[in-house]
Amino acid sequence: MLAETFTCQTVQSCLEDVMMANSGLSGAVRFLKVSFQMLTQSKVGSLVPSIFVQARGFLTTASLAQNRTLWKQREKYTIRPIGIKKTGGRDHTGKIRTHGIGGGHKQRYRMVDFKRLNYEAGKEDQPFEEKVVEVRYDPCRSADIALVAGGNRKRWIIATENMQAEDIIKTSAVIGRMAVSAKEGDAYPLGALPVGTLVNNLEIQPGKGSEYIRAAGTSGVLLRKVNGTAIVQLPSKQQVQVLETCMVTVGRVSNVDHNKEIIGKAGRNRWFGIRPSSGLWQRKGGWAGRKIKPLPPMKSYINLPSIAAK
Amino acid sequence: MAAPLLSLKMSAAAVKGFYPHGAPCNLLPRRCFGVSGRMSAKSAHERPKPRERVEIPGLEMITYDKRMHYVPGLAKPVYKRWERDYKDPRFYVSPPVREMPLYKEKPCYIFNQRTSALEGVRQALWLTKSKLISGLPPQLLSLANGCTNQILDQHERVQNAIKHARFWDTTEERPGKKKYSNKLLYNLLHLCATLQSHHPGLGRRIFAEKYSLAATWSRGQDLFQIRGQNCILHNCMDPLPELSGNQEVADTENYVLETFYPVSPTIDLQKVQVYQEEMYSTGFAVDYVYPHPHTLYFLEGVDDDCKLQPEQFRAKMLMFTFGNALACAHKLYGTQSQQILDRPIIVQAVGTNGRIFQFLVFQLNTTKLAEDDGIKNQVWLEEDIQLYDFAKVRPLIKKKEIMVPAGLSGYKPETFNKFLAFYIHGAV
Repeated sequence: MLAETFTCQTVQSCLEDVMMANSGLSGAVRFLKVSFQMLTQSKVGSLVPSIFVQARGFLTTASLAQNRTLWKQREKYTIRPIGIKKTGGRDHTGKIRTHGIGGGHKQRYRMVDFKRLNYEAGKEDQPFEEKVVEVRYDPCRSADIALVAGGNRKRWIIATENMQAEDIIKTSAVIGRMAVSAKEGDAYPLGALPVGTLVNNLEIQPGKGSEYIRAAGTSGVLLRKVNGTAIVQLPSKQQVQVLETCMVTVGRVSNVDHNKEIIGKAGRNRWFGIRPSSGLWQRKGGWAGRKIKPLPPMKSYINLPSIAAK
Repeated sequence: MAAPLLSLKMSAAAVKGFYPHGAPCNLLPRRCFGVSGRMSAKSAHERPKPRERVEIPGLEMITYDKRMHYVPGLAKPVYKRWERDYKDPRFYVSPPVREMPLYKEKPCYIFNQRTSALEGVRQALWLTKSKLISGLPPQLLSLANGCTNQILDQHERVQNAIKHARFWDTTEERPGKKKYSNKLLYNLLHLCATLQSHHPGLGRRIFAEKYSLAATWSRGQDLFQIRGQNCILHNCMDPLPELSGNQEVADTENYVLETFYPVSPTIDLQKVQVYQEEMYSTGFAVDYVYPHPHTLYFLEGVDDDCKLQPEQFRAKMLMFTFGNALACAHKLYGTQSQQILDRPIIVQAVGTNGRIFQFLVFQLNTTKLAEDDGIKNQVWLEEDIQLYDFAKVRPLIKKKEIMVPAGLSGYKPETFNKFLAFYIHGAV
């Protein structure tokens, strides 16, 4: 209230100044003056702030909803490519989470079904076959992807080395007494495969979906099978122990020559969305140079019984 | 008016006294231009999950409902969902699928004009229980050979029709595919229609666009429907004469349908559980004067929302030709499936993308489609026939050598003969 009255007085005084200049005028002007005062007094409350309303859009803050991932939030599976929003290495707060990311060619995401043993509705617990419709490049990963069709549905999977269109690939969850002689591209539980098989798309927990050995040209080796578990050597030579019901795909991941690809120029890395590293000179530390260290111990992903159970 | 008034004497402090919302506030100078407390950038807090409401029987929950504002310690009142007592179509919420009156337990697979069948013609052949014969039937071939010079100055006029569609019918550099394919088809049809003086039977026909087709049949255990609006339909007062004799029709019994394991024949078809059973409609009234479908003209690439590959386009042609024949058969012979029709129903189809033509003839021999054995239907298909090689606005030059000259080149008159044969079939 204080501010309002104050301004009323200022406006009034300035009007009076204007009127003083015309003080030689007749009473009609005085009448005008009175009416002006009445006018200003009645209107000034709404008149003056209306000037400031126009400045309302002057925001200096950015929207707090940074890097919305609404495009990711889709429950229904589709084979149609989905538009991606680039993050530029920023997380949801807008701060840089990963350096060196930004720009690049526009990419679209294709939902890859990493759960190879994903039964079609109504046909559970039967081995099924699928036909490869096409094998194509995927911008979101180094390996190629394959569109497979079987039954009433289509889905994308990671392609193996020699996968071609019109191939028939099999998926089975049966662990028989005899080891199967698997074709490349087929998927079996680890327990069903012979020792020494090259595998990829390794599951860590049965039914979770493959997490390991998915990059281009990689493969793991099934080393041993010990009472209900299997030991697999990863491409990094580390050995992991998982349950024998974990699904794997037989063979090697496609795009074998990915590591021989010549980028050619710095700008090509930019096309992939990779920014140059910082030019700051940093003293070489312990990370530089050759290191000889023993292999890490085998990693076990089997739920050990708790102490209380013993 | 007001701004210069203020700028005269108003002090800066007075200006700062105004809050930008228009509401007065204290006179202390504010340091920032912010409009609200959101100035300090904090990460958006993840909203905690709403706490589970525990209902204890016998205990009354005390809410702040009467207080009409939030009171710490009191429960949040739960209000009944407000239902409007009047009908507003903007806020209509459909009932769940299972509660709809047309809901059925058995799913129905619907083929519509935008269906892109993965297996293409093979899948369509299985769905329609048909035997494919590549090439055109002999009646149509002999008709095509006899059509070399039916129209006066035929070659010149056809070439003019192509040039009109490709070069002349635009103010732009070149017309788009959607435009010229449509224009070419209508030009050719107009050219064919000039033969009416020689063949009066051509007058007993009419064109129809945007008619809605519906046909239902079952194949194996599944129920199928064809629904949709597409293509231009040439209707006729008289049915087309049958193309293959009784012996050939009987021979189709030995033909084994091609399957494509592991892919199911219903792949890519729309699976619905809310549908009308026994939908049969040719799209026309029962007493329509032109009851017999003669030829369907399909245009490729006119639908912007759905671009079909050539194989899928042919599958669509086959399915809709079959659908028209089936709807016609249901009208003529009743909805009971018949092992062999007294008089097979023949429907032709022509598909084009403005340069390449697909010719298809369908003969519906049987409406007993549920089993795989027995009499099959017959399909004659001649695919990917070019009317001309190039129609270039500018010449194609490579290494300073003209590879393709500007203008129309490589015109193939035999393609138009086939088109004309399809048109005058049944009227000669």
